[in-house]
Amino acid sequence: MTTDAALRAPLHRWRRRARLLPKGWDNAVGQVLMMIVSLICVFPVYWMIVTSLRPENEIFSSALWSDAVSLDNYAYALGTMPMVRMLVNTFTVSLVVTPVQLLTGILAGYAFARWRFRGAGFLFGAIALTWLVPLQVVMIPNYLLVARMGMIDSLGALILPHVASAFAIMLLAQAMRSFPSEVIEAARMDGATHAHILWQLIVPNLRGTLAPLAILIFITTWNEYFWPLLLTRSPENSVVQIGLQMFITAEGTQWGPLMAASTMASLPILLIYLVLQRQVIASFMKSGLR
Amino acid sequence: MKTILIASTIALSATMAGAQTIPQEVTEPVTITFYNYNLSSAGGGADATRKMIAEFEALNPLIKVEGVPVPAQDITAHVQADIVAGQPVDVAQITFPNLGYLAENFGAKALEDMIAPAELEAHFEGMVPNGLELGRIAGKAYGLAYTFSTPVLFYNADIFREAGLDPEQPPRTWSELRTAAEAVAEKTDHLPLATGIYGPTALDWLMLGSLNSAGGSVMNDDRTELTFADPQGVMAIETMRDLAQNELMGNMSIMAQMEGMASGNTAMYLQSSAVQGYLVVGAKDNFEPRTAAMPAFDGYPVKPSNSGAALMTFSTDPAKQRASWELMKYLTSKRGYTVITSEIGYLPLRPEIVNDPEYLADWAAANPLLQPNLEQLSDMTPYRPLPGPNYLQIVISMMDAMEMATFGDDDDVAGQLSSAQERLQRMMP
Repeated sequence: MTTDAALRAPLHRWRRRARLLPKGWDNAVGQVLMMIVSLICVFPVYWMIVTSLRPENEIFSSALWSDAVSLDNYAYALGTMPMVRMLVNTFTVSLVVTPVQLLTGILAGYAFARWRFRGAGFLFGAIALTWLVPLQVVMIPNYLLVARMGMIDSLGALILPHVASAFAIMLLAQAMRSFPSEVIEAARMDGATHAHILWQLIVPNLRGTLAPLAILIFITTWNEYFWPLLLTRSPENSVVQIGLQMFITAEGTQWGPLMAASTMASLPILLIYLVLQRQVIASFMKSGLR
Repeated sequence: MKTILIASTIALSATMAGAQTIPQEVTEPVTITFYNYNLSSAGGGADATRKMIAEFEALNPLIKVEGVPVPAQDITAHVQADIVAGQPVDVAQITFPNLGYLAENFGAKALEDMIAPAELEAHFEGMVPNGLELGRIAGKAYGLAYTFSTPVLFYNADIFREAGLDPEQPPRTWSELRTAAEAVAEKTDHLPLATGIYGPTALDWLMLGSLNSAGGSVMNDDRTELTFADPQGVMAIETMRDLAQNELMGNMSIMAQMEGMASGNTAMYLQSSAVQGYLVVGAKDNFEPRTAAMPAFDGYPVKPSNSGAALMTFSTDPAKQRASWELMKYLTSKRGYTVITSEIGYLPLRPEIVNDPEYLADWAAANPLLQPNLEQLSDMTPYRPLPGPNYLQIVISMMDAMEMATFGDDDDVAGQLSSAQERLQRMMP
């Protein structure tokens, strides 16, 4: 009670102060503040685009706009490496990994949530533990496995280790556990099979969890760097994150082409943000990530 | 007697196996893999490397080279992963700090164990002896110096003029450099000095050159004891500390140093000549870049070290070993070094080509910035990799200690270095 009161006090003070302002001003102040914050957020994107349009000897200029705008950096980026092919590869890998990881997550999540079997707790704990193991630790064993399968330098090998993820299984198992058991029992009494219950009852009602999860998987796969770095041998079979790294060397960073390639690489993700803003924010809220 | 006979037979077999040479030529089509970090960059380095591979394949139609782009910092991990996977890479461009580790632990092939002495000698003719030493571990050539460069002092002639300094008389010693830095600090708003000695990705190559030039060393000659805390090493670090504590030398990342110089905001920059191309591009229409030799410590001869990489082969198949050696020979031939120097920016291991009109003469005349680098080639002290599996941890910890002794609050440089040396000596094999 005391704590609640302590928390409420500053709020009351703020409200009293706000009442002193002319009508609508508190709203206007809020709007202005939000506009400033938005500008701060958008500025790095703006700077990336402006830098991509600058000539080489103006790269370090602090002017907000260049007088010698050109698309040379885009032409250079596209000419020195197969950027379009890399973008298509990245898109393909992300597009395959997302539904496959969702599928395995749904199936495993349902098994953990609805079935009682010996060792379920241990198995769930083991899967949860794998979530704590950094990718770098399992990269070499995975590489050996992929090498033995003859899949080095192939898109299939980029997809294979991501067909299941502990995070998706845990999130979906948790979501399914909170699904009303009465509804499921009623369906079972009506003769519904597990497949019916899962695909016609639970999954349609989990759209609120599945959509943000799909977006998270897509973005995580899109940003993958270390696994493709170890696995791919030619730029043609590589992904866009590796392509971006090629502009950063010990002998200097080619900022203009790097920003041009970054602009091209971030377009699909920016489009996702534009089209699915609400779901993206929800996905980050749910996962606790920024 | 029987035991002695068996032991002698095994020893003789081992010697014979070690000295076994590879076929004289490639008679069947063969494909070899080549891990190369220049291929992993966009632009000049990759184009030049692809060009050399294409030329080599045209001259050797039975050999196909699969050039694999791998960033420099990841090549060692790739080589290890491939060896464990049973698919060893045939030729790899290995940075000098990693050379000893791979030679001593991962079955790299010494050239003397594969190639007949006369053939080796013929290829080595005309190469800088110091450069050849770069690839030797325990007396054997495990690596063939490929892309390498020495440190030079880049300076901004415009800032020099603004500070009242004569750009025709760049500093030759650390004392002169301090005087010039003071003038820049007093009369301009620019950063007087940045050095690639420090920074998270610097490793120890430039520090090694500084310690050697001060009469010190990182370790003793037989690579068993660390010696960087000896009085000469302390003197070198105290010189750096004096510059840092008087705000004449900036403490920043390698990238920030390079960008500061390229953008015309830094007066002097001590760094590998390999970054010259980057600085020249930034300087275009902005300022006049110049170069001078690495500064000496008063009373000591300058001993520049080297950055860069060597070619190593890990092939186990004799036909691939021959093909790998043919590739290594081509890449380090007169033609190879012409492309490497003029199109990537590294030094030619065969200095005779610099004045040869068939190779680099025209290019060298048009690129005077390279001259100080070429002049100090004969003074170069080859980089010696630290031994044992902890080599990288020792390098990083040593550099951390030196960075703290330079930029930190504690004035006791000798104490800090001695403490670090004592701790790191326990990690030596």
